[in-house]
Amino acid sequence: MIDYSVAISVQQQPEVLERVLRVVRHRGFKVTHLAMQLNENNTTSIDMSVQSDRAIALLTNQINKLIDVLDCQVLAGQINKTSASAKG
Amino acid sequence: MGSGQMIRGADAVIKAIAAHGVTTVFGYPGGAIMPIYDALYGSPVEHLLSRHEQGAAFAAVGYARASGKTGVCFATSGPGATNLITSLADALLDSVPLVAITGQVSTAVIGTDAFQEIDVLGMSLSCTKHSFMVTRVEELVPTLYQAFEIAASGRPGPVLVDIPKDIQLALVDYKTPLQAVMPEPEHTQAQIDAANALLANAEQPMLYVGGGVGMASAVEPLRQFIAATGIPSVATLKGLGAVTIDTPGYLGMLGMHGSKAANLAVQQCDLLIVVGARFDDRVTGRLASFAENAKVLHLDIDAAELGKLRMPEVAIAGDLRQILPALSQSMQIEAWQSEVQQLKAQHPWRYDRPGELIYAPAMLNRLAQKLPEDSVVSCDVGQHQMWVAQHMYFRRPEDHLSSAGLGTMGFGLPAAIGAKVARPSAMVVAVSGDGSFMMNVQELTTIKRRRLPVKILLVDNQKLGMVKQWQQLFFEERYSETDLSDNPDFVTMASAFDIPGRNITLASEVEAGLDEMLNSEGPFLLHVSIDDAHNVWPLVPPGASNQDMMDEMEKQT
Repeated sequence: MIDYSVAISVQQQPEVLERVLRVVRHRGFKVTHLAMQLNENNTTSIDMSVQSDRAIALLTNQINKLIDVLDCQVLAGQINKTSASAKG
Repeated sequence: MGSGQMIRGADAVIKAIAAHGVTTVFGYPGGAIMPIYDALYGSPVEHLLSRHEQGAAFAAVGYARASGKTGVCFATSGPGATNLITSLADALLDSVPLVAITGQVSTAVIGTDAFQEIDVLGMSLSCTKHSFMVTRVEELVPTLYQAFEIAASGRPGPVLVDIPKDIQLALVDYKTPLQAVMPEPEHTQAQIDAANALLANAEQPMLYVGGGVGMASAVEPLRQFIAATGIPSVATLKGLGAVTIDTPGYLGMLGMHGSKAANLAVQQCDLLIVVGARFDDRVTGRLASFAENAKVLHLDIDAAELGKLRMPEVAIAGDLRQILPALSQSMQIEAWQSEVQQLKAQHPWRYDRPGELIYAPAMLNRLAQKLPEDSVVSCDVGQHQMWVAQHMYFRRPEDHLSSAGLGTMGFGLPAAIGAKVARPSAMVVAVSGDGSFMMNVQELTTIKRRRLPVKILLVDNQKLGMVKQWQQLFFEERYSETDLSDNPDFVTMASAFDIPGRNITLASEVEAGLDEMLNSEGPFLLHVSIDDAHNVWPLVPPGASNQDMMDEMEKQT
């Protein structure tokens, strides 16, 4: 498994967090940490740690497709040594 | 600019739809969408009443796929909206531009479990490209304009707009919003150079053509690219029609039920040029061994498809109409072209099956020969769908409507209705199976209501044929719930909807049967009884590589 930190900027919409979390789950990633903050310019910053065997681009490419997502950046990725797999 | 006149939100909905060139919508009224239906009454926008919301949305999908325009459907809240879900999912998986408008209970009672209230926005998240719930009437028109833009731009898809009843009744000053344009990916010259280098070094290139070509209006650029390069080609189910069958080196459909020549040639190629396709599991078979010696050049409007399942050597996200001409070049691949031609000659389709009974592949091939140039064939899902893909041929992708990604039984009849509305001068034939036909059979009433001259070719083996085939091959002939021998008398049933029809059972009746159907003035049902022992061949078994196709076995006579 690999741990990744992802920073996402979204437009403020009531359902936007649901949209992002649905994609994370459906594309095979587990949320291990989540923090969000509403900004004054009608955007929301979401900081998220996720875990998966899959390459992070498979997630960020899908998150970037969401209409309300303004930006999605991978801050860090590291192999979780307790459950490291050959994939990565 | 403002109209200077306050109108109801419901009237603004109809006005915004008309402003997008939509002349026909498909739907079914109900409590929470009554103001919109009131606004529709007497408006220039025509409405086709379905008899189930799934039928309405599939008709809108058929309309969109046959015409390239955006389809629009209406449904009320609660069950009306939930009945749309399957069609929205179908449109998402097949990238069909669709705007679905649902009525919702009034904003004051949302979240109170009001009558016919369900969280449609929540349900839409996984089966739409995007969705909205309008909570202020001032946002209504801009939201509708945005919905149309999102549905048709980039990789197209379904967009749902949920409109509470009080918003429909509230007054608004209709102002045409500034047209928002969704950003499209742009390619670079470095990417084009890298792709051209791959092409220049390829000795055995192969084009893998998907539905994205038609959706991008890139059929002509693709054909010019093939003419210039001479590269052999195969197509996915949704890509059929992009390359005509008389194109040199074209081998038809690849994948699980593809032609043997197509699959073998793809396995041998050294460069796979993927155009508007996405390495679907029904195409690749065992992914790890799919074209395993080939480098991959992947072209698509959707950057998320690039590297999703197969890492390409070069990937370009962008408009195929610009990319393909930039890659055009003459190639020295004569040896490969003749190898491909040899494969094609070694594995032809055969229609000379002995016996008195009707052989569906031969019948469908004959139908393709008889269809006029302006024709649309709409399929359901199952064995007949694969026979259509294998044995019919199409002049362009809009002429072949098939539920590819979601594989939705019940798609064919309502999609044919939508296609006939979009292209009234075209011959529209719904090819269905006895299982699929019953899934949206209520839409026969829609045909009756408008006397739509839709032709229905019902291929009946009294089985849920494709599932039965898998039970036979992979589940030790344990035929669990696939016997449909208690089907109704379909010709009698059609007559109850004022649709004439006839039944044929012998190969000798095919010619006259097809002629009667095609020459009839109005709608017609040709019910074709076939032997339930006929299966779809060849077949790549689950988990196998595409070169390991199963052929018809001795016992499958």
